[in-house]
Amino acid sequence: MSTRAPGDILSDFMGLWRDPYPALAARAAAGERLIGYFCSYAPEELIHAAGLTPVRIVGQERNLSRADAHLQGYCCSLARTDLDMALAGELSFLEGAVFVQTCDTMQRLSDIWRLNTSFPFHGDFVLPARMGDRVAEDYTAAELSSFRDLLQGYLGQEIEEPALRNSIRVYQRNRELLRQLYGLLPSGALKGSEAISAVMAGGWLRKEDHNRRLEELLAGLEPGSGGTGARLLITGSLCTTPDFVAMVEELGAHVVDDDLCCGGRYIEGDAKDSGEPIREMARRLSDRTTCPAKHSPSWDRAEYLLDKVKRSGAQGVIFFLQNFCDPHAFDYPWLRERLQKEGIAVLLLESQLQTPALEQMRTRVEAFLEILGGE
Amino acid sequence: MAERVEIRSVQAYQVLMADYYKEAKTAYRNGKKVAWITSGGPVELLHCFDVIPVYPENHGAMCGATHMAAGLAEIAEERGYSRDLCSYARADIGSMMTKGGPIGGLPRPDMLVCCNNICGTVLKWYEEAARFFSCPLFILDTPFVRGDAPDYSIDYVEAQMREYIAFLEEHTGIPFSDERFVEVAAKSLYALSQWKEVLACSEHRPAPMNCFDAFIHMAPIVTLRGTQTVIDYYQGLLDEMHERVEQGIAAVPGEKHRLLWDNIPIWYEMSSLSDLFASLETCLVADTYTSAWSFDKIDIDRPIRSFAEAYTDIFLNINLERMVDKAVSLARRYQADGMIMHSNRSCKPYSLGQYDNARAFTERTGLPVLILEADHTDSRQYSKAQAEERIRAFVETL
Ligand code: SF4
Ligand code: SF4
Repeated sequence: MSTRAPGDILSDFMGLWRDPYPALAARAAAGERLIGYFCSYAPEELIHAAGLTPVRIVGQERNLSRADAHLQGYCCSLARTDLDMALAGELSFLEGAVFVQTCDTMQRLSDIWRLNTSFPFHGDFVLPARMGDRVAEDYTAAELSSFRDLLQGYLGQEIEEPALRNSIRVYQRNRELLRQLYGLLPSGALKGSEAISAVMAGGWLRKEDHNRRLEELLAGLEPGSGGTGARLLITGSLCTTPDFVAMVEELGAHVVDDDLCCGGRYIEGDAKDSGEPIREMARRLSDRTTCPAKHSPSWDRAEYLLDKVKRSGAQGVIFFLQNFCDPHAFDYPWLRERLQKEGIAVLLLESQLQTPALEQMRTRVEAFLEILGGE
Repeated sequence: MAERVEIRSVQAYQVLMADYYKEAKTAYRNGKKVAWITSGGPVELLHCFDVIPVYPENHGAMCGATHMAAGLAEIAEERGYSRDLCSYARADIGSMMTKGGPIGGLPRPDMLVCCNNICGTVLKWYEEAARFFSCPLFILDTPFVRGDAPDYSIDYVEAQMREYIAFLEEHTGIPFSDERFVEVAAKSLYALSQWKEVLACSEHRPAPMNCFDAFIHMAPIVTLRGTQTVIDYYQGLLDEMHERVEQGIAAVPGEKHRLLWDNIPIWYEMSSLSDLFASLETCLVADTYTSAWSFDKIDIDRPIRSFAEAYTDIFLNINLERMVDKAVSLARRYQADGMIMHSNRSCKPYSLGQYDNARAFTERTGLPVLILEADHTDSRQYSKAQAEERIRAFVETL
């Protein structure tokens, strides 16, 4: 088997990030069974073990035509565009979707989707809002079992324990590989946009395939010499376009880490393949308190962010938030305060898929980088 | 047109609420503890532990009704809170920071109790309050319900109810008493049944009270259910309603049309909207909001378990079809001619899905729906002239 150059692998990832949907449609046409998900807490391993491929639906820059009849303008643009695409028949490559009830919007989107589309499969996964303790973990395990039953009923066949164990292993391997990749970021061995694209691509590739590519990539990457430019960390929910991160990099910044739901946050938490599989999955989900929609008394998101900043050597943090996304918007003021207290500069950018204002952002990022450079 | 006859119990209401806020504001002097709690939270247990419950949402509504919410919200916005967040939260955070607002801010909490059966907003809002006041926070997490809640979901909430009790024992130093709990729960249930009866009086034609009255008189059921004072108060209100029904006293004299209201009121427009509807001889006879405090599932023989069930199964924590079922049943019971839905940009769990709900409601009842875009307390998000124009046009078509 010929090995591929890191640049080629990364440009495939980047291409997927720009537009994942044609490749998904092609694979569905070739017989692969795809289940959409929107939230990084989706029980992917169960879907994978059932022989289906979970794929992440992340909207698209577009004008809405159909979703406005169902969702008000004060709903986040991700939910609105995802629904718009579904109603327009552009997601017909999916066999169905699973909705993780992470925020109020997702909770309602699930019903609206179910009532207005006719995908064969519809799953709800009601995650607890409390995390990191035994009570919530027990509930999560029960909810996972119930989701497994739903899948089994839909497929008319059991999800065997060895298959689930295998999926957990594959997913765990995936997280480990991606973490290795992230570990190379501060050295400049690859760019932040490339690391994020690697995580994003994993949302669309079958994980075995993704793992192979990551191994190849890691084997081929040359060690970096430290990188240049102001060191930045990007935090937020989902960054739907590589253009934004690429723009930040074009302006000379060195993105050394991220705390995005489609990036560094996706690879948090470990599941071993030793225990009872459902319990292992529950433990991982429950330990993964990183999302602002989750609460754990023993978890301090500001500390977590500060630690990330310290370890990556970031000088500034960009909050890249979706308009109308409550959980993230609520965390911004105090996170900003805590970061600023530690001398970390902060920039807030809000985005909306319907009208991405990249040009406006460019000016603000430029100004931000100037401040950082002047320090 | 006949004069509107005021509801007498408003006076008792004012006394009750003034006493309550006075007691809460001076709690520290009397060695009493104060807890902030969400409107959907199990307040009964606080009464068991002699803790005074305080409701930031009710405070938000007060700030709205007194036209102070927008100013307070701006203070929070300056601190970085997005203008797109729930204006109850923004106004309350603004008041927390400055002690501003109609009552000079809420009394400082000794503890916070947050139940997310109404929304995810309260989780974040209470996290902020916990940081601000450095006080203990208890989260009661109630998983969303589609159809019937599975047993394991109720198990989860029941386990947390027990943690909640332990939390209160720890922070009050008072041991939990089963007897006391049953006593308070029974009082709460009784008050809830009185409240239901009060609302049911408006099934009568003409309705003796309308939603604007209910929005006011609901405050005690939200804040003080479980106490004898509330029972006495609702008895008075109920007697008055029966009297009005007997004497044919209408909330809206010359009542011609009967409408339902969906969502939280537009607090800063209460009196002008009430006048507008009165002038249109249209009575808002029932709403999905005030009737949410009914808790049909409480069974006094297994209080903790049934509390877990009841608090999980509340109106904002159920799927859209069940929300429509409720609106349809209100329409039938109250013989409504249509529904007005307040699309409230502050409240996503209440508002997202309304467009579909409106269509389903019309399909099932044949009744028209008007959707008004507004915000419950942030008046900057409301276009008065346009809203009133649309209401007039809607009523004309009935
Ligand atoms: S972007 Fe925010 S509001 Fe939208 S679905 Fe994600 S978490 Fe929910
Ligand atoms: S208005 Fe809605 S979002 Fe705001 S606190 Fe109440 S239930 Fe939550």
